[in-house]
Amino acid sequence: MMFVLRMAVRETRASWRRLLFFFVCIAVGVAAIVALRSVIQNVRVAVNGEARALVGADVVMSTNREWTPEARQKIDTHLAAAGAFARTETTETPTMVRPADPSKPLAKMAELRAVQSGYPLYGTITLQQAQVYSHALLRQHGTLVRPELLTALNVEVGDRIAVGETTFTIRGVIAKEPGSGPGGFSLGPRIYIDYDDLASTGLLGFGSRAGRLLFVRVPDDRVPALMTALRQDLRQDFVNARSYRSREDQVGRDFDRAEDYLSLVGLVIVILGGIAVSSVTRVFILQKIRSIAVLKCIGARNAQIIAVYILQVMALGLAGSLLGVAVARAAVAAIPLALKSSSASLLTEAHYGVTWSAAVQGVAIGVLVSLLFSVVPLLHVRFIKPSLLLRDETARRRRDWLGMAALVVVSLALVGVTAWQASSLRVGIVVCTGFAGLAFVLHLAGKALVALVAPLANAKSFPLRHAVLHLSRPGNQTRVVLLAVGLGAFFIVGIRSLQASLLDEFSFQTSADSPDMFLLDIQRGQADGVRAFLGDAGHGAGTFQLIPVLRARVVGVSGREMNLNGPQEVRERGVSLGREFTLTYRDHLEPNERVIDGAFWSSPSAEPEVSVEREIAERARLHVGDTIQFDILGRVVSPRITSIRNVEWRESRNGGFVFVFRPGALDQAPQMFVSPLKGPADPAARARFQHDLVQRFPNVSVIDFRDVLERIRDVMSKVTLAITVVGGLVLFSGALILVGAVAMTKFQRVYEAAVFKTLGANTRMIGRMLLFEYGVLGSLAGIIGSAGAVALTWGVSKYALEIPWKIFVTEHVAGVVLTAILVAAIGVVSSLDVLRHKPLATLRAE
Amino acid sequence: MIELREVSKTVTSGSEPLTILHPLTLQIPRGQFVAVVGPSGSGKSTLLGLVAGLDAPTSGQVIIDGVDITRLNEDALARLRGEKIGFVFQFFHLIPSLTAHENVSVPMEIAGAADARERARALLEEVGLTGRAHHYPSQLSGGEQQRVALARALANDPPIVLADEPTGNLDSSNGRHILELLRTIHHSRGTTIMLVTHDAELAAIADARLVLRDGRVVEKVA
Repeated sequence: MMFVLRMAVRETRASWRRLLFFFVCIAVGVAAIVALRSVIQNVRVAVNGEARALVGADVVMSTNREWTPEARQKIDTHLAAAGAFARTETTETPTMVRPADPSKPLAKMAELRAVQSGYPLYGTITLQQAQVYSHALLRQHGTLVRPELLTALNVEVGDRIAVGETTFTIRGVIAKEPGSGPGGFSLGPRIYIDYDDLASTGLLGFGSRAGRLLFVRVPDDRVPALMTALRQDLRQDFVNARSYRSREDQVGRDFDRAEDYLSLVGLVIVILGGIAVSSVTRVFILQKIRSIAVLKCIGARNAQIIAVYILQVMALGLAGSLLGVAVARAAVAAIPLALKSSSASLLTEAHYGVTWSAAVQGVAIGVLVSLLFSVVPLLHVRFIKPSLLLRDETARRRRDWLGMAALVVVSLALVGVTAWQASSLRVGIVVCTGFAGLAFVLHLAGKALVALVAPLANAKSFPLRHAVLHLSRPGNQTRVVLLAVGLGAFFIVGIRSLQASLLDEFSFQTSADSPDMFLLDIQRGQADGVRAFLGDAGHGAGTFQLIPVLRARVVGVSGREMNLNGPQEVRERGVSLGREFTLTYRDHLEPNERVIDGAFWSSPSAEPEVSVEREIAERARLHVGDTIQFDILGRVVSPRITSIRNVEWRESRNGGFVFVFRPGALDQAPQMFVSPLKGPADPAARARFQHDLVQRFPNVSVIDFRDVLERIRDVMSKVTLAITVVGGLVLFSGALILVGAVAMTKFQRVYEAAVFKTLGANTRMIGRMLLFEYGVLGSLAGIIGSAGAVALTWGVSKYALEIPWKIFVTEHVAGVVLTAILVAAIGVVSSLDVLRHKPLATLRAE
Repeated sequence: MIELREVSKTVTSGSEPLTILHPLTLQIPRGQFVAVVGPSGSGKSTLLGLVAGLDAPTSGQVIIDGVDITRLNEDALARLRGEKIGFVFQFFHLIPSLTAHENVSVPMEIAGAADARERARALLEEVGLTGRAHHYPSQLSGGEQQRVALARALANDPPIVLADEPTGNLDSSNGRHILELLRTIHHSRGTTIMLVTHDAELAAIADARLVLRDGRVVEKVA
């Protein structure tokens, strides 16, 4: 044992420099795992600490209709039974806000929250400039707004803004409000007003999309019982109830999933490091063959020698992992500094630090992966015969059952590690199989490409000839470098071209003469006025259309295959029919629609008829001739299905509808209008257009596709950045592996260079050889990554995003060229001292 | 005592079987200094490798102190070498990543000796290298490296030392030095020594000579 320990220490002392890069690779992966896990755990602690503040209550009930007296009655009874001791109500709705000052032609969609004096039950509203929140700030038409709104509307505290039919004075700026979790998508910045002022805005008219919330405090032990009672009793009233606990559970699950999946990224990097360790161990053993033979000659047994090297690998793996933890600590500590400037949210509240559990997991994985990947190549030690010290001979390889058994055990162990990290055996198997498949494909691709460039070995250029020969030299690291660098290039090029095709798709949709604005909530009485406003060339709107919309629920079906009686059965058995639908009626098909069964009408009829979209008809097994019962705000209409339509959703710029009615039956039903239109092109004219429209029709909301596109672009560039960082880490690991591979085979190169020099090659020629070699290697890696990226974008475009597939030549060419340059630069720079060595000294030493 | 019974060695060279050692029966009593002489390719090193268990014979038995080593597996052979046989190579074969002192300690550490470091120091002193203990092989001259190799061969005080052309890679003065050391060891410790050389003059210092040609013994001189 003492021998094994001492020998391991001595061997590590002698060779740690050469193995360093591979363990830095492990360190990068471990750092990624530890940092990601720690940050998510930190945020989770912060979120859990504020679960009540996030929900804003012990229990909250919500509905997007008016509270009915029956529902209120039931709620009151249950709350009294549960001993609720505090309650407060809010109403929330998206709406257009504009400066009251007519000289500022601006308008912006905002999320309005009207609150009572008891709000918030938990947490606090924090205002900027140390102002303290009290409900008195909102009384008599006061409002508190998010800072983004001030910039968007060019207003400041003290100014007045118009909301609906009335105006409010800005009395403060919100720094942080309860209920703002990390992330989340909103239609616009938040504004607060007094609950009692809401009616004066006139926003709660017919068809309003306002959400009503009721927050309550109840004794903790009564929460579960209350939840059960509310859920059972309010099912028919369209009231939803949740507690801070269900939020906590939901958030907990989300965090678990995020933590597990994100750390898989780190694991991929560690495994990449592991593959490099495996490859380098093989070369290392080849280089140590004589020393191992000597050890056997002086009495060392196989197990002892293998133990020496395993200990060495584990020591380096441990060192790499600890380095990784240190890097993670530094990175995590830097997060608050990076967040300081960005908007206030729970992310800034969290206390950041590496957690013990993350650090222990990271180190365990680093050591384990190093161990697993080096065991199989180390078993080769058994085949080294001491007799090779007497004469050169190559051991005949027998079928190595032990080696194969070890391979199986190691593979299973890797699946185990991955499953442990992903907290799911299925994910573990999928990821490992996927990775093995990918590695295999990359390996084959590498082999094929190396074979493809093999004819260059007959090239006229001497340096090029030798560069190609070097790619298949004994003990070469070509495949590992191709795998690692290729994978990194694949990540980056793939995500870049995906981003390009998505943006391309969106800008295609918003270009040309297609609508780029959408008006919502036009009341029936306003339809003619809006039509006149849009038709007036002075306002700058292009083509437009006013589409009637009605909200409805399916309450029954009587048909050939499907028969449902009443809303209960629809919810339970009516596949895809249980939600609320938006209907319209018209006498023509849109260009993106095609009738595939039955016939479409061309004239109005008093008899109700409906046309159903193909997919939902298939899912709910509806056919021409069946009858559907709709509840349209309390009135039941039972149209017959007279046609099934195919709808190209991608081109549904005028709004796609699942159910289209024949004109006649619904003309007098309560309805609203929406309007897709082409807005003015110039941004200032656009802002004025929105402002003027909202001034005339204060309850109408405007969705500006350009804003939406901007926001999508913003979100997408953040996602792209995040994935590019991951790809960058993989590529960085690839570069490290490359540097390591160069260092590993350096002795061989130094010797070769010396021989070449004595044969008359000058430094420049040897430099060119290196440049060509790594240039070819880098090009191959870039081609592999780029080809993978083409496959990725094809698959994602076709199956996930369902957009047309396009190749973005610039991204791919840049990917190949940049990878080639990167690899060539790293290869040549890390071989510089090969060029400097004096030949005689080298040859003597051999 | 070293005993060989009908030991032969045949290897496949290309597709042809090539006999490097024809059946040979031989006894070397304890404490004898035997020189194995012959031109290169005569099978000398092969014979030595078979005695050390570095190689397995095609037929016959090799018996060391009553144990038939052809029946032992790799690990048992390694243990036997560690205990009973010291080996000196023409090309030294020191481990380049270890210092002289460490190279000498290793066999004792493998054998689990508690006082490996002290004994290694004493052995280096015996071969006259006290001052070079912490140098790496690459920092030593050929003669010095071979003296380290000799010290390493003596590490576990083995009853048998096998030396394969130990002076073949050295100049004559260094070569003489090594031979002197071998003779001293033979006298002071009573070690059985098999010395392979192609130089008849060097062989003259031995108690007995074995002359090989083309894998056959052509002469035995007691």
